[in-house]
Amino acid sequence: MPQLGESMAEATIVAIKVQPGDKVSADQEIIEVETDKAVMGVTTPCAGEIAKIDAEVKGTYAVGAVLGYVEASEADAARFQKRAPQLPKGDVAKEVPGREEESATAVRTQNGSGSHFQVDETALPQVAAGSHFQVDKAGVLPVPAGTKGAGYLSPRVRARMAELQLTQADLAGIAGSGNAGRVTIKDLEKFLGGIEGQPAEKPSAIRTGVADAMRRSWTRPLATVGLSVCLDPILQDRAKRDPKPGPALYALRALALALAEQPNAAARLIGGRAIRSESIDIGVAVEAQDGIMVPVIRNADKTSLADLTSRYTELVDLARRRRLTGDMTSGGIASISNFGTFGLEWGTPIPLPDQTLLLGLGMGKKVPAWDEGNGAFVPRTEAQVTLSFDHRSLDGGGAGRLLKRIVELLADPAKL
Amino acid sequence: MSVTYLEAIREAQAKLLRDDDRVFIYGQDIAGKFGGAFKATKGLAEQFPGRVLNTPISEDAMVGTAIGAAMEGMRPIVEMQFADFSSVALNQILNNAGTQYWRTQTPCPITVRLPSGGTKGSGPFHSQSMEGIYSHYPGLVVLTPATVEDAYTMLIDAVAIDDPVIYCEHKYLYYHLKADALPTEKLPIGKARVVRPGRDLSIVTNSAMVHEALAVAQQFRAEGIELEVVDLRSVKPLDTATVLASVARTGRLLCVGEAFPWGGVTAEVIARVATEGFHLLDAAPARINAKDTPIPYHPNLWSEHRPNAKTIAAKVRQVLAE
Repeated sequence: MPQLGESMAEATIVAIKVQPGDKVSADQEIIEVETDKAVMGVTTPCAGEIAKIDAEVKGTYAVGAVLGYVEASEADAARFQKRAPQLPKGDVAKEVPGREEESATAVRTQNGSGSHFQVDETALPQVAAGSHFQVDKAGVLPVPAGTKGAGYLSPRVRARMAELQLTQADLAGIAGSGNAGRVTIKDLEKFLGGIEGQPAEKPSAIRTGVADAMRRSWTRPLATVGLSVCLDPILQDRAKRDPKPGPALYALRALALALAEQPNAAARLIGGRAIRSESIDIGVAVEAQDGIMVPVIRNADKTSLADLTSRYTELVDLARRRRLTGDMTSGGIASISNFGTFGLEWGTPIPLPDQTLLLGLGMGKKVPAWDEGNGAFVPRTEAQVTLSFDHRSLDGGGAGRLLKRIVELLADPAKL
Repeated sequence: MSVTYLEAIREAQAKLLRDDDRVFIYGQDIAGKFGGAFKATKGLAEQFPGRVLNTPISEDAMVGTAIGAAMEGMRPIVEMQFADFSSVALNQILNNAGTQYWRTQTPCPITVRLPSGGTKGSGPFHSQSMEGIYSHYPGLVVLTPATVEDAYTMLIDAVAIDDPVIYCEHKYLYYHLKADALPTEKLPIGKARVVRPGRDLSIVTNSAMVHEALAVAQQFRAEGIELEVVDLRSVKPLDTATVLASVARTGRLLCVGEAFPWGGVTAEVIARVATEGFHLLDAAPARINAKDTPIPYHPNLWSEHRPNAKTIAAKVRQVLAE
């Protein structure tokens, strides 16, 4: 597996265009691979005959992994001689205890299939000493030399943090003075000394819980997109209903129906697997004293707006009385936050740490909208809807399609 | 008046012979005019007739005889010509002396003096540091004095200890170290000494390397970097508490040893700090030893083979930069 791009560490085989016995010319594209950036071709180093292909389609291989062998002329083979792996002489590996384990560090078992690949260390990219991109040959993948940069916390700093029950987020206010901007123990002690004597109180349990959830969630790359939605049809529809759902419930129902159509949008990315829920359970952020609680409405796509309304009222009441049980707040795949109730038009709310999506609803307000037919501005009630998402699972396009579908569904509230 | 490291060893032996009838010295060519390969017993045979005895060239027999004498209540000091040759007596030292008390409840108070470490041009058989080997085995006490004062008091203490003691005296220090007078105070065996207090990195070392480390610390001082230097003094027992306290102050550890790199004292110190003091570390602990090859004869090769001020300084920078 050649280094096909500066940041490439591994690639997945998309297609193998030759089989053993095929004659190949120099620089012929024989394998197509896909990296996180592009689909690219692996070419032959020289002319010859394909002797063996070790790689499999859909397999992922690190840079330097042997994908196959080309039987070449002796002259060509000699050109590549210095890159060939040095085999231990005789049975050294068997005779020296631990020797086999040593070489085993370059072997990684692939997900599921149980197959593994060997890394030819001599084929790892050669980097000049002192270069910015040092290669750590201890593991399989190249590791940048700056690994122990600003984010690195030494065992000593970690121990002190553990003693004081500090998280990394608590250290955000410290500009590290150590190597590569590291926070040193002196920085930490100085910082702690600085806050000493300032008024402080112990936060409530719910505050601590929210803090922890938000800190965990923030470890992901989160992004937010937004759209305007016209609330007038909703307000008209609402007047006809009993019980009367709030705008947030219309949004919740629209989110559930849109997710039923686009279930991948709420998938959670865990360890290289996109995990989907079997049912569309949506959480609703409820402001309780000193924090937020998020009770979950089960099967929101299969529940009528009327039933959603009564269930919602029930849960909000339980939440405000702090009577929610654990199973009432767990298992949601997305949540909704009606920050408009605080008089806010726009926000970038943070999804719960175990969810990919959070739909936000801003405050409705009268705005002039251009009416093409009449050639005049007409008043309409508009609000902003936002969709915050885990950018690992979803891109702007995917999030945008889901949000557009939600707005579309909200335009015809009678069908919700 | 001044006293060298070698003279301190001689004076300690004279005092021991004077103060305790049970003490005798046993070694090759130590009696008579020769006074031992390094003159550590010069004049003692005349001063203490019958108690400074020449032996055949058999380290095995020397230690074996000493063990027998110790069982009968004597306090023998065995002088090896070079630490390297003590390997000939490994069976007596490790299997007999080291295990004796545990097998028989009869103590084995022998002291084996090992002229250790390298000097220019001494080659592979006259330069080795053996403290790592002896520390590995139970039942032995292993001392590596780095100063004139320690050379004196630790040898006196060694003879007083009921267990077999391996006393590693560094040949390079014999003539290079001088003190104004013999010491009147001492630090007990098993206690390390902070030779130079510092703030930024702890160099934990022993024997002649203490002086290399001090030279490096002096060099870094000009840059405002303060290195703490800890002299282990006694390799076994090892003063883990003093080492941990030093690492707690500095957060960084570099172990320097003249012995070979595989296993040994520097590895043991790092293992203990990593096990008991991981939370004290700001950087991965590092060590520098002699190279993992036999010790070269040529002076230029030799001075690059062992850690020296230049290579120690480079390692210090590496640990500080992490």
